[in-house]
Amino acid sequence: MLVVRPSNFVDLTSIERLLDATDARVTTLPSARDKLSEKIGQSDDAFNTGIDQDGPASFLFVLEDTEQQELLGTAGVDTEAGGGYPFFNYRIDEVVHASHHLNVSSKVPILFLSHELTGKTLLRSFAIEPRVKQTEAFDLLSRARLLFMACLPERFQRQVIIEVQGIFNDKGECPFWDAVGRHFFGIDFNTADYYCSVKSKTFMSELIPQHPIYVPLLPEEARGNIAQNHEAANRACQLFYREGFDKTQFIDPFDGGPVLSGDLLNLFTLKHVRHKKARPSDVVGGMKYLISNRSLNDFRCTIGTLVDGIGETIRIPLEVAEALNVSEGDAIAYAPL
Amino acid sequence: MYIRPVIPADIDYLCTMAKNSGVGVTTLPDNRQKMQAKLDKAVASFNKELPEKDRLYLFAMIDPATKDIAGICALEASIGHDDIWYNYHVGKTVHSSKDIGVHKITQTLYLSNDLTGSSEICTLFLMPDYRKNQNGQLLSKSRYLFLAEFQELFGRTIIAEMRGYSDEQGQSPFWESLGRHFFQMEFSDADYLTGLGNKAFIAELMPKFPIYAPMLSPEAQRVIGQVHPDTEPALAMLRAEGFDFNGYVDIFDGGPTVSARIADIRAVKDSRTIDVEIRTDAPEPDLTRKDGLTLVSNRRFEDYRVVLVNSTALQDSTLHLSAAQAEHLNVDNGDSVRAVALRPRRSSDA
Repeated sequence: MLVVRPSNFVDLTSIERLLDATDARVTTLPSARDKLSEKIGQSDDAFNTGIDQDGPASFLFVLEDTEQQELLGTAGVDTEAGGGYPFFNYRIDEVVHASHHLNVSSKVPILFLSHELTGKTLLRSFAIEPRVKQTEAFDLLSRARLLFMACLPERFQRQVIIEVQGIFNDKGECPFWDAVGRHFFGIDFNTADYYCSVKSKTFMSELIPQHPIYVPLLPEEARGNIAQNHEAANRACQLFYREGFDKTQFIDPFDGGPVLSGDLLNLFTLKHVRHKKARPSDVVGGMKYLISNRSLNDFRCTIGTLVDGIGETIRIPLEVAEALNVSEGDAIAYAPL
Repeated sequence: MYIRPVIPADIDYLCTMAKNSGVGVTTLPDNRQKMQAKLDKAVASFNKELPEKDRLYLFAMIDPATKDIAGICALEASIGHDDIWYNYHVGKTVHSSKDIGVHKITQTLYLSNDLTGSSEICTLFLMPDYRKNQNGQLLSKSRYLFLAEFQELFGRTIIAEMRGYSDEQGQSPFWESLGRHFFQMEFSDADYLTGLGNKAFIAELMPKFPIYAPMLSPEAQRVIGQVHPDTEPALAMLRAEGFDFNGYVDIFDGGPTVSARIADIRAVKDSRTIDVEIRTDAPEPDLTRKDGLTLVSNRRFEDYRVVLVNSTALQDSTLHLSAAQAEHLNVDNGDSVRAVALRPRRSSDA
């Protein structure tokens, strides 16, 4: 059974192994053990006390194969992008340079440093075992967070954002970084990326160029990569577009990858979620659903078949009930897969 | 050869000269109407018909044998009043993070009007046939004696814009890397438009935000503040007079602006006044030699004149002039003139 649940310290070594195996860059999950441990600690706090309180909280989930007792992925959500610090993006804007007299008119794209997305709900820390990336495990891991938010919508800002990985090659060379950030940070992309996850966030404020960047001055390749996602993120993008996310004018300040944004209450999962009481039983047939318990600090989410109907109660398969730690009469949430 | 203010009759010569100057002398428009306007302005300036800050003092170098104009040069009393005066200020941005051990100084270009109100040395052009016999020195430096005489008509500092680097094909790497993206035209066209005094288009099209130099091509970065090879001698001449790069460059070609406090310019500071004595034995200057020459002006505003004389003509109490020299200077016995060595003494002599 594939189950998404809150991370805990026992997962530490498994997450490390996973990060080694994935092709995805997960800037918000450091591979350095003490920093990773800190993240898990933050998530622990979030699940224990952060649910009822205001202020920044950082929830980290893991995907586990309960039979194999194998950890297959991680996914997180922050209640406030930046966590109290500025959250940096470039906003792509345009300035019109026109002269009637000379019959010249051109729209010049410019990148403006922006903190506008600071404090928005941020989906982050997504990493999945490559072996199961092309399966429904991917959808489960990614969308379990949304189901969690559907059970606790008042805790999250309506605007939900995701920074999608931008373009870099196998050697870790990132044309956008080389054309922009590198001039000011004086380090290569991988190092910058690494520092982002292990160093305090002030270095970002200290080093990132404050003046707007004229896009026409960038090399062609860097220009072409603006707001383009890495092909490894294609599947994630498809999923998010289906959920109702859209590209924004914002891009990642390091790799130029797109920032997607959606309205929490209008996301597919939240629009179609249902909350009912569970009746564990032998269910035959039905459609596949994303199903979760509503125990927020012991959140569980899996995929199972349901026959949706009218009434306050719904029958759920016994193994699902077991995986979700749900008994007769407990509240569950579900949304179509 | 002598220097005098331009007069209305000079218009045809000036237009011929503009045709010959080509790209690079933006203040010499190859357009009769514009040239006429410039000439009219200069004539009005010498007639004190314009407010001091609006004046343009345009001087011509005359070949006494033919009365032809051999070259021209000018002083702008105060820049940036009719038009907006643009430069890039070559500044720095420092990014530093102790946490990750980075300390980076980034050259940054800031669009500025900082030099507004300065005076300007401009429009120097010498016809190719006359590029010999210290004519260039005489033409260029004749202006310093005017500045020395009438300092109150000028700003505290004076600038000179130096032509920036461009290659044999006339391509400016700075323009290719920066201006072209916004102006969508050739450097020569942009240059021509500025020469016509059409500067509104600069405000309309120029990028207003600071430019980080590393975003420019390596070639463009290299030529920021660099002069065209042909301009090296002019730059050296200005430096010897006390001018220095002031951190501002041309927005089109990245050429440097040099500046000096007028009172500190060598030829202003070292000049002195002396009375004329017309003598038949006055020495003739040896124009084939670089030293032993002295610039002399007649100290007048309206019929300002400058000639080169032999330094030995400068005696303790008088300056010995031949009758011809006195005629070129338009002075008589006993008139007061201003004199200064054409070139600074080399530092090794000092």
